Amino acid sequence: MKRSGPGSPDRARRRAPAGTRLVGFGVLAGLVAAWELASRAGWLAPFYFPAPTRLAGTAWELAVDGFPQGIRIGSHVGITLWRIAQGYVLAAALAVPLGLVIGWLPALDRLVLPLVTFARSVATLSLLPLAIAWFGVGELSKVLLIAYGCFWVMLSNVVAGVQYIDPMLVRAARTLETGSLGIFLRVVLPAALPRMFAGMRIALGVGFMVIVGVEMVGTIQGLGALIIEARTYFRSDVSLVGMLAIGLFGFAASTGLARLERALLPWHRGLESVRR
Amino acid sequence: MTARARDLTLSVAGAVGVLALWETVARSGTVSPAVFPPPTVALAAAVRRIPATELGEHVSASLLRVLGGFASGAGLGILLGVSLGWYRRLAALVRPVIELTRPIPPLAWIPMAIVWFGLGEPSKVFVIFLGAFFPVFTNAYRGMTGVDPLLLRAAQTMGLGGARLLFRVALPAALPDLATGIRVGWGLAFGVLIAAELIAADRGMGFMIMRAREFGDIAVIVFGILLIGATNLATDYAIGGLIRRRLRRWHPA
Repeated sequence: MKRSGPGSPDRARRRAPAGTRLVGFGVLAGLVAAWELASRAGWLAPFYFPAPTRLAGTAWELAVDGFPQGIRIGSHVGITLWRIAQGYVLAAALAVPLGLVIGWLPALDRLVLPLVTFARSVATLSLLPLAIAWFGVGELSKVLLIAYGCFWVMLSNVVAGVQYIDPMLVRAARTLETGSLGIFLRVVLPAALPRMFAGMRIALGVGFMVIVGVEMVGTIQGLGALIIEARTYFRSDVSLVGMLAIGLFGFAASTGLARLERALLPWHRGLESVRR
Repeated sequence: MTARARDLTLSVAGAVGVLALWETVARSGTVSPAVFPPPTVALAAAVRRIPATELGEHVSASLLRVLGGFASGAGLGILLGVSLGWYRRLAALVRPVIELTRPIPPLAWIPMAIVWFGLGEPSKVFVIFLGAFFPVFTNAYRGMTGVDPLLLRAAQTMGLGGARLLFRVALPAALPDLATGIRVGWGLAFGVLIAAELIAADRGMGFMIMRAREFGDIAVIVFGILLIGATNLATDYAIGGLIRRRLRRWHPA
């Protein structure tokens, strides 16, 4: 048995060969065609599995007429992305400085460890009833919940990024008589950046996950609301188009962040294997 | 004092400190205790308002759901991840479909899950299944494709092939990645569980706190959040311990 074994560390980045990708597209096109044909032949009930052409029509309807109450899909997408962006930036603004300090001071890390461990275990969406009771069903609750979900993932990765720096690097810098602040800015921070970016990527996924749950309660704006609102009108086609839209934008955002990482940290091959 | 004892003391001090701070601030009277109850009050209120049998029902309903969804999701994830990682030609056929559906957040499937499976248990279990499946599959596949080819070739030189090569060499080598997938998958499955219970359920811990909100009973909500966090922490710890014991056979710490 012959195996083409990719064993290099950057295997995850390696692109699939053109042939494989062609097969992939072929399979997908075949599936969509089979789905369409099965729908036309009446084998698939339209309510359970709306045909691809029907979904395309729905997408057009959402883009032009809007749903529900004339809210176009463009504005659903815009609102969802804006909510995620606010929560994400808020979380990053708090997590990065705090994580750097906690990572740099081992005693502080021990002190807050139980709190961080527990807060991470609290399911973000379990805070939804409390957030609604405290801040109402408006924007603030949504943004704060996204920030909560993103914050702990970012924090633990920033802390880990600082803690797992090769101590030789720091000692080498000391022998060169660099000051503490100099070491921190010129040695610790750059060495911690790859892990911090890994945390940022995972947090983005968390944001896209939390937003759907948050938007399913008490709003008719945003992709999560679109997906769940469609149920009351028995429009499974609208739900499916909404799902595809959030999947597409989630994928685009994480790809964009990965590109940004490669542009900002060209010296690093990326921590593809780091997962939460 | 040894370093370990000092670490432990600091951790305990941190936990006690946070609880004490919370208790003091909540009792100081700046915010009404009905809006921001101290931990002791939340606990007392929950004990008074939710009978132990009902609480037990909520917890067991949640655990049954999450176990069902996780077991099926992780099981299929491992099966597909390992077999696609082993038979690459098959992967070229199946992976595009998985990679296309992966970016869709599990919670976004809730309405379609209800359309396909109705309002009962199966729709919730399906959404939890999705939450567990994708991370487990991704990590299992990554682990299998990342097995050092030298290991495989060495084993082949010694006459190992087929199923024995898979089960005795490749699978053990991919085990750390499988373990990562299982932990991440459990965390996601648990998060999805609570969300699904908030949105569409008539029992379970998520339902319990959503109902408490309708009554404006913040003490019960706070208690429920802490209970959910503690359950997640305890189960994650148990799974982590199980995995570590299993892994030690191949990867001595």
